[in-house]
Amino acid sequence: MDESVGVLDGLWMWLEALPLSARIGESAWFPFLESIHVVASTFLFGSILMLDLRLLGRASVSHRISRIVAEIVPWTLAAALLAVLTGFPLFSTRATHYAHNIAFQIKIVLLLLAATNMLWYHLRTARTIASWDTAPKPISAARFAGMCSVFMWIGVMLSGRWVGHLL
Amino acid sequence: MLTELVTMIDGSALQRGALFLLSQIRGFPPIIQTVHILGVTAIMGSTVLLDLRLLGVALRSHRVSELIGRLLPWTWAALPLMFVSGIVFVLARPQRYAMNPVFRAKFLMLLPAVLVTLTFHLFSIRDREFWETSPGRRALGKAVAAVSLVLWLGVVMAGRWIAYADYLIPVEE
Repeated sequence: MDESVGVLDGLWMWLEALPLSARIGESAWFPFLESIHVVASTFLFGSILMLDLRLLGRASVSHRISRIVAEIVPWTLAAALLAVLTGFPLFSTRATHYAHNIAFQIKIVLLLLAATNMLWYHLRTARTIASWDTAPKPISAARFAGMCSVFMWIGVMLSGRWVGHLL
Repeated sequence: MLTELVTMIDGSALQRGALFLLSQIRGFPPIIQTVHILGVTAIMGSTVLLDLRLLGVALRSHRVSELIGRLLPWTWAALPLMFVSGIVFVLARPQRYAMNPVFRAKFLMLLPAVLVTLTFHLFSIRDREFWETSPGRRALGKAVAAVSLVLWLGVVMAGRWIAYADYLIPVEE
């Protein structure tokens, strides 16, 4: 365990020593990327919330779930990609610090949980979607996925915002 | 007028109260900021999504009239929430915000953003199908959506830039 942490720390130190990381950290690139990161992450949550509320039977109940998935998820994934592409350079400016920042660690765990929840829904739960696609209140596994998503993303937002308060 | 307002707030019980909450209660600033960001999330999931629908790039199987009725209430609910969660920070340090050019820019975009969205909504309340009835109206809707999209994204980005104003404008001392 200790050894693997050591290897990772070596990676973080290498990353933050890159000239590009230093340039981002010392210039207007940092706030620029951060403002795009905020736009991307709020759009990510704002878009997936529409699907989550449909799964919970709270909104757009007259629309097929599969239709909302087809229309919303590509936008959510595009926003997620943008959030990662802007988030990684931000991380690289002080990689060692962020890797040891408890808020950042919690954020990453919640992100992985949210991604797992999403994958589980699409690969397992949605297999039987034909029988509840039009149901105002879908099966409990689908409702559970929607609820988990809402709470996990709120957690990601909270821990993400907290990262900057632990400098 | 702005200077008078700042002088009035500075040193008042309101200012001291806000400063106390922010500086003495551990975790208060990030929690309130998260509430503010969740408000931004609601804006993204309502006004911004509606703009993308009007531009014809998202949610094409949803009717515009239906989306206006379902999404825009989220915008109107988010704005007071963001006002309350945002004003705590302004009350605590009125000088800092009043002098901040990015803060001013944010509100110079927020005002027209709200007015555009409100006007758009009011037309739809008076005539539900207003934005769908003719190619001309749909084209107008697209133009309004493009303006709204730029303004709202500008507001969000400026909001994040408030803390970095000195990167844009060298501080005069």
